[in-house]
Amino acid sequence: MAESQPLKSGSNLEKVLAAGHLAVTAEVGPPKGTSPEGIREKGAKLKDYTDALNITDNQTAIVRLCSLAGCAVLKQVGADPLMQIVCRDRNRLAIQADVLGAVALGIKNFLCLSGDHQKFGNHPNAKGVYDLDSTQLIATLRQMRDDKKFICGDDVSGDTPMFIGAAANPYADPFEFRVIRLAKKVKAGADFIQTQAVYDVDKFARYMELVCDMGLDKQTHILAGIIPVRASGMARYMQTSVPGVAVPQSLIDRMKAAEDKGGEDRKQRGEHGREEGINISLELIEQVRQIPGVHGIHIMAVNWEDIVPVLVEKAGLYPRPHVE
Amino acid sequence: MSTVLTQQSTAMPPCQATCPINQDVRGYLAAIATGDFRRSLELVRETNPLPTICATICAHPCESECRRGQADKPLSIRALKRVAVENGGPLAPPSRVSSRGQKVAIIGSGPAGLTAAHDLARMGHRVTVFEKDAAPGGAIMSYIPLYRLPRELVARDIDNIRALGVDIQTGKALGQDITLDELRQQGYEAVLLSLGLPVSRGLNIPGVDGEGVLLTLSFLKAVNYEGYRLPPDKTVIVIGGGNVAIDTARSALRAGAKAVKMVCLEAPDEMPAYPWEIEEAAEEGIEMNCSWGPKQIVVQDGRVTVLECMAVKSVFDEQGRFNPSFHDDRCTLIEGDIVILAIGQASDVAWLPQQGVALNERGQLAYDPATMATGKEGVFACGEVVQGPGSAVRAMSHGRQAALAVDAYLRHETVAFEEPFPLSQLDERVKSEVKGVDRQAVPLLEVSRRVTCFDHVDLGYTPETGVKEARRCLNCGNGAQLIADKCVACLTCVRVCPYGVPVVREAGEVDIRADQCQACGICVGECPANAIAFRMAGVEDIPQRLEAALAGGKKEVVFYCSYNTFYLRGADTLATVGIPCLGKIDVKHLLQAVALGAERVFLVGCADADCPYHRTLDWAHRRIDTARTVVQQAGLSGVTLHMLHLEPQQFAALPQHLSQAVQEAAHSEEQND
Amino acid sequence: MIKAKHKSIASIGDMLAPYRRVLVLGCNTCTAVCLAGGEKEVSLLASTLRLRSTINGQKKEFLEFVVQRQCEPEFLEEAKGLIQGADAVLSLACGVGMNCMAENFPDKPLLPGNDTTFLGLSTELGLFTERCVACGDCLIHLTGGLCPLARCAKRLLNGPCGGSEEGRCEISKDVPCIWQMIYDRMKALGQLDRLSEIVPTREWSMNDAQGPRSFVREDLRVQVAGGG
Repeated sequence: MAESQPLKSGSNLEKVLAAGHLAVTAEVGPPKGTSPEGIREKGAKLKDYTDALNITDNQTAIVRLCSLAGCAVLKQVGADPLMQIVCRDRNRLAIQADVLGAVALGIKNFLCLSGDHQKFGNHPNAKGVYDLDSTQLIATLRQMRDDKKFICGDDVSGDTPMFIGAAANPYADPFEFRVIRLAKKVKAGADFIQTQAVYDVDKFARYMELVCDMGLDKQTHILAGIIPVRASGMARYMQTSVPGVAVPQSLIDRMKAAEDKGGEDRKQRGEHGREEGINISLELIEQVRQIPGVHGIHIMAVNWEDIVPVLVEKAGLYPRPHVE
Repeated sequence: MSTVLTQQSTAMPPCQATCPINQDVRGYLAAIATGDFRRSLELVRETNPLPTICATICAHPCESECRRGQADKPLSIRALKRVAVENGGPLAPPSRVSSRGQKVAIIGSGPAGLTAAHDLARMGHRVTVFEKDAAPGGAIMSYIPLYRLPRELVARDIDNIRALGVDIQTGKALGQDITLDELRQQGYEAVLLSLGLPVSRGLNIPGVDGEGVLLTLSFLKAVNYEGYRLPPDKTVIVIGGGNVAIDTARSALRAGAKAVKMVCLEAPDEMPAYPWEIEEAAEEGIEMNCSWGPKQIVVQDGRVTVLECMAVKSVFDEQGRFNPSFHDDRCTLIEGDIVILAIGQASDVAWLPQQGVALNERGQLAYDPATMATGKEGVFACGEVVQGPGSAVRAMSHGRQAALAVDAYLRHETVAFEEPFPLSQLDERVKSEVKGVDRQAVPLLEVSRRVTCFDHVDLGYTPETGVKEARRCLNCGNGAQLIADKCVACLTCVRVCPYGVPVVREAGEVDIRADQCQACGICVGECPANAIAFRMAGVEDIPQRLEAALAGGKKEVVFYCSYNTFYLRGADTLATVGIPCLGKIDVKHLLQAVALGAERVFLVGCADADCPYHRTLDWAHRRIDTARTVVQQAGLSGVTLHMLHLEPQQFAALPQHLSQAVQEAAHSEEQND
Repeated sequence: MIKAKHKSIASIGDMLAPYRRVLVLGCNTCTAVCLAGGEKEVSLLASTLRLRSTINGQKKEFLEFVVQRQCEPEFLEEAKGLIQGADAVLSLACGVGMNCMAENFPDKPLLPGNDTTFLGLSTELGLFTERCVACGDCLIHLTGGLCPLARCAKRLLNGPCGGSEEGRCEISKDVPCIWQMIYDRMKALGQLDRLSEIVPTREWSMNDAQGPRSFVREDLRVQVAGGG
């Protein structure tokens, strides 16, 4: 990306990426309740180790504090919030309204997602909205920002600084179509991409090769997803029960072997497992950052946010650059 | 309710179409299979005036056409007819169906003459049969060996014909004891000549006139009628390869021959005799000398010593006509004391012109096959005398035609004979799905015993093996019938049929191909529009039979596979409804039973291995499950439905099995609680 | 065709509570084909209800009839006498037929015996699956003839979500991922390049965005004298 281009949002994340640094983002899960304290606490703890923090939007279709409010709380503690928006829960009126509100509150980063199917969540009988799909959502935000128009064509008033992101899953099928789909998202207006968790580095490298062949790495910033694994059980659960996450058996075996070093003692096993999980994550970070076209990492430490500073530090990515 | 039948559905099953007298084979087999022997005999008798004789000696061309034979071994139809005859009676003698009342004379009482007599008598004509021999039956009595047809069996059939009022006068030969003119004077308005082929063909070779050279017909007649026995220690040479030659050889053996050798022109696979006859003869130790032609009979001191034969080059010429050629230089000598010629039969008609009946240029009785009429007004002919040699059943068919022709003549009408058309062959897909079921072997008298006497060789099926064999019948053409204007083209039948019988035709019409249907009945119970009727007996009348069975407030009803009726015992006080395979049970039948007050409904099917169909029991299970759901939803807590699978023999103790099923169900209910 | 299935006997029983004489009215078109409204289903349901009512001592009467299509007033004519003679009609048609029934017999309570499920087909005996959402704006020329609106759990129009795995949808291994099928088909047709085009935001006005839908064929309209 040419340095000379004007910034689209001026968000911290955009500035770090524009400056050519390897970006680090992390995910913060909002509570199933009204207290902002958890977000505040996590935000305060992680903000210095990351360039932006995602707030998930009813992740896995479970109702939580909304991403807009979560981002506003992060803003209060000085983090650069990244607001996730899923197509599942809102129609075009609600989404465009929320985006206006977010921009008004100073939120500049957005991640456009289809959303996990409602079937998996705690309201499986909800009507899935899916008025827009994720590609159309990207295009909608781009249009609001660049053309200052709503979908209907009416004018948007005020400034619209937005750094628009999208997701990509290099492991989903059909593999050959994954890069085409990425290209569509980029064409629709995705400034950055956060990928699904990378474990099979070879496959991710092949994917990135195709991405680079198409020149997409020059048009967007790709942040490789990292999900630190705490225990072999968690790895197995992700392998069988979480849509879109590809966990190789070798990883489960390696976790299991490490846990076995702890013998019968549960606590010991847990510690050995966590230690190995950290090792694995560090190895992954080291490997993916070498892959051409990778501009950053996105750490999704679900219920294990404490580990983010550890990983960032051990990976030699601390301190984070400060770009004016 | 209108029905649209494809042309095929009116076609006959191949067995019936091939049978010269079009016996309803499918019908009487189904009756046997469901244990109704009486019905089976009634059906046999509907078109067969000589059921006992046919059950014993019929050449059964039906079996070669049997469609199970395309996928498996054919049904043993002739033996099953015997099951009907032996177990279905006694039936009342046949009765007249009309009373036309004209006098008809029939000359000759072989199968053709007797059939014509029977048919004409049933039409109400006054029929007299004149038989030159001492007993009626013609060739059957004279030439069929006793070991194939015990004579008391012949009497049964002939008694039934007499019961129709047919007057059979024996010892009356036309031209000798009576004349056609006399018959005319006595008021006979028509005369039917069924004279048979009473002359053995001779052979023009040296030595044929010697002592010890016999003609087969006189030999057989002497054995059959007079109990003629050969002098001791004689070796008999039988010349000929047809069925009569085999009869001759086997009779000679039983008449005391030391050894019997057959000599025929044909190679083993060319012999005109039926394969099973050849096989049984070989079992009895009769020596076969095939592909040899007689050259001369060597007679020394006035006695036969040797038959000299030449090797046969070919029996038929290039046009396929009988025209044997020989290797003159390759000869063999077959030693023996007696030679019996069994090389064919001819008519004896040279005297007929004296009666005013013309012969044709070849010296044969002249007749018109279209009207059966001879050259003399009011005189007709039928049977082997005009057809040439053939099976008894073929002669019977000709006698039947002659009866129609004579009746038409008497009414001053013309007659047209219709050729039946058979159902087409099974297509490959259907054939591949037909479940194989072993053909039941017909037990025979053991060889060591049978060569010493004239006892009946064929022991016949027991009723039980008969039932087993009969249920192999594919019920060709007797299955599902689409009611086209009720069909909603949902294609459910197309999808449930295990055989791929229903197909989609042009313009989206469904055709349940009658000629391919295996009559399993699965589609009937699944059709959402009630648009499939069923041809086979015992299906469409289930509701009425159910109502009758439950009359009087019975609280239990048993639907059972009627292929086990034969075994069923102890069910007299139960309400039972037999269904020919439970694939034909419908949820509506089960609910009807409940609506009629039944509190326990049993569905008793075969053990899987015994079912000749695919998946019918599976569907029966689904239907009882559906009925259970309905009963439960309706809140009928006191009603239970049970499904049992029983071996045939277990049907003999049905009540015990039913109560066991109830106990088991109650037990498992408790455990679930 | 339109697919439907029976409501539970319990819920039908509740609906029937106020009525004594009920006509179970089948439909010989779509619901007959999906085994929910033909003569057999009508008689089966009527038998069930009869048994149920006997047990409950309700002495209800259940009449049975099947019309060609309940969605045509002309076909309902045949059943007019039965309908008028009944306290209520339990319809085994689809929702369309039921509405038509109700509109044409304003005095007659109409009870649904079926749940109308979707526009679909029977992919195998006993399995019915949706194929069309009647969106009013067909786009399947873009997707190889296969409809992602009807068959993608998230109605995605620009390709499969990240949950597509080995041709299966993330919601269930039993559900094929329609986008995998679209991809395979477009590949076979040599039209993969078309999938690179972004399908823009849908105009749902052809669907449910503007209230009950209707359309007019002016060439077929007959002006009613004195009409507006």
